[in-house]
Amino acid sequence: MKEVRVLIVDDSKVSYMMLTKMLEKTNFKVCDYAKDSKEAVEKYQIHKPDIITMDMNLPDGDGIETSRHILKLDPNAKILMISAMKDVSLMIKGRAAGIRSFLQKPVDPNEFIDTLLLLYQNEMNLRNILEESYIKPLVKIFQRELFKLSGLQGKMILGESIDADFDVNGTGIIIGLTGNPSGRIIIYATDITMIEFSRLVLNLSDDEDLSDEEAQDAFEEAVNILMGNYVSKLNDLLKDNEIRIAPPGMISGNKIRVLNTKLKSFQITAKTRIGDLEMSIGFAGRQD
Amino acid sequence: MDVKFVNPFINAITTVLPQLGFLTITRGKLSTREKAMPSLGVTVLVGFTKSVRGNVAYNMTTESACKIASTMMMGMPVAAFDEMAQSAISELSNMVTANVATNLASMDFEVDISTPSLTLGDNFSVKISDMQYLVIEMDVDGNLIEINMDLH
Repeated sequence: MKEVRVLIVDDSKVSYMMLTKMLEKTNFKVCDYAKDSKEAVEKYQIHKPDIITMDMNLPDGDGIETSRHILKLDPNAKILMISAMKDVSLMIKGRAAGIRSFLQKPVDPNEFIDTLLLLYQNEMNLRNILEESYIKPLVKIFQRELFKLSGLQGKMILGESIDADFDVNGTGIIIGLTGNPSGRIIIYATDITMIEFSRLVLNLSDDEDLSDEEAQDAFEEAVNILMGNYVSKLNDLLKDNEIRIAPPGMISGNKIRVLNTKLKSFQITAKTRIGDLEMSIGFAGRQD
Repeated sequence: MDVKFVNPFINAITTVLPQLGFLTITRGKLSTREKAMPSLGVTVLVGFTKSVRGNVAYNMTTESACKIASTMMMGMPVAAFDEMAQSAISELSNMVTANVATNLASMDFEVDISTPSLTLGDNFSVKISDMQYLVIEMDVDGNLIEINMDLH
């Protein structure tokens, strides 16, 4: 492992010295020390450290506010919050601000090093691991199953990796994933596309009727088949991860906002002659 | 639908919520539903797998979600269902459902739960089952949390 640079933000010089001491014989190198919020932001920009440890109480502001400033400058900054109290409301505020990990004072040296390691490795690799192991097979299976189920040729587009919220207009099928990693998948389309897709799945001729509800049921079943195939493929590829799918749920309406709180998510679009079928898959992260 | 799964939910709510600063938690009516339910504004779906399969949807108004988030943040005013409030409700669903999983384990049901899906909007419906399923109403300091559950 290469040298990993750590910036320590703490108003107490003693804390700084203790944390530095703990990292002495590791690959983590303390690159600098900031005693308040203002210095933290300045020194972050100078050093661009791999990880920041952030004290909650600073003389000119709090650790969450300071983290927010730093994350505004660099959304990928990896921040470990160290505070005297580790209560739920602090963690909620911290997570909402984008802080990845939390530790309570007094800091245990082994726990400190483990947390830094996890924070560094997980964040660096998680997206790559997920994309290679989980998303690339999914794109192929999505395309293949789409053709098998409906005869549609989909032009597949893997979207930019952004963890943004999105809107569903029409019908969306939500399937929970459990195991390692846990997560959730939503496949959605406008109702016009969904109905057309279901007619193809059911192989209906033009003069045969299909109610909206029947169309939604067929859509749900198709998505369930697609996901079942995906998960069995994953379990073949990645043994011991025990990935399972929950039964499908459905959302239906206009301007339904789906939040991506705390998820690493990917967007896959199948462009077809009847419109776009969208898929969003989000993972909560791996536990190794 | 199975009535024996009702108590694990009620126990989870009455165990977890007082730890988060809620004072009065009472059980409201228990009813059944079929097909889709209207979202009250904020609906959180969580999937169950392994020896009990199914879905749970926690349903509440945006106003209730804000008030609940505010209590979780030690009374900080929450005027809109912003990022902070979303994070709070997500945390709440996680904590309650994880507690449900523990309660089920003590009944010898091994379960695993998915990541919660948070959805919001003014006018949409949510379906968790094609059959009849249970709805438990919980009153949490004057805010309704409707638990729609279909577990087998």
